[in-house]
Amino acid sequence: MKNLSNSNLLKFSLTTILLTILFRVGLSTSLTNKMKIAVIVCAMGYTIIMWFNGYYFGKKEYEHLPIYNIGFRFHLSTFLAHNMVSIAWFLLAFESKYESIRIIYMTALIWSGFLLLHFSYFLTKRKSTIRNLDKEDLFE
Amino acid sequence: MTTKDILPDLLSSWEETYKKGQLTLWIFLALKDGQKYVDEIKKFIETKSNNTINCEEQSLYRNLRKYQHIDVVSFENKKGNKGPDRKYYFLTNMGAKLLEQFIDRNINLFFST
Repeated sequence: MKNLSNSNLLKFSLTTILLTILFRVGLSTSLTNKMKIAVIVCAMGYTIIMWFNGYYFGKKEYEHLPIYNIGFRFHLSTFLAHNMVSIAWFLLAFESKYESIRIIYMTALIWSGFLLLHFSYFLTKRKSTIRNLDKEDLFE
Repeated sequence: MTTKDILPDLLSSWEETYKKGQLTLWIFLALKDGQKYVDEIKKFIETKSNNTINCEEQSLYRNLRKYQHIDVVSFENKKGNKGPDRKYYFLTNMGAKLLEQFIDRNINLFFST
């Protein structure tokens, strides 16, 4: 795995943590003030910006070295960053009175199912690689 | 359309297909010739191929990173004329063996019949 730059993954994760904190602030504030529109805007804004976050750093990482498991590494990183920030938000008692930590656990549980599916795909794809580079993408 | 009219198009079309997948061979040939930095590899490929193979530096860097990752190419830093050190790339033992076997199986057959 030498020469594998993780700087893009690190930048992606830090951006994800920052965006999740902003999302949590926006969501809790909107819920506390019963601003339904703001809740929707927060959720949609977070989704769209997170998509661009993944696209930008994922593309950069792929252009640097097309390691086949980029997608899974970024997915796992998103899962960890989002859920850790969300749980910390509740542990630090920053949540709105209309939020429940059960929602966070339920989301993490459902999400981990998708993460496991992604992991099984990652293992299947691994067979068609040489040192984590796709055989078909190795020589040009 | 006469034969004369379509011949250049046919040749061009065939060449486009033929060139796909050639870059690795040209990079390896450049490095077999001796250690080179990226600009020298680019010049070697363009000169030796009579400018039929054009390669962008970005594409060369991307390929070299992949070859480094699979241990067929390595590099050492050497002083350039001006500015920072340059990365001089070379074939590892495995890279040299890979090229030798590739040539043996895919190129030499043209000359063995």
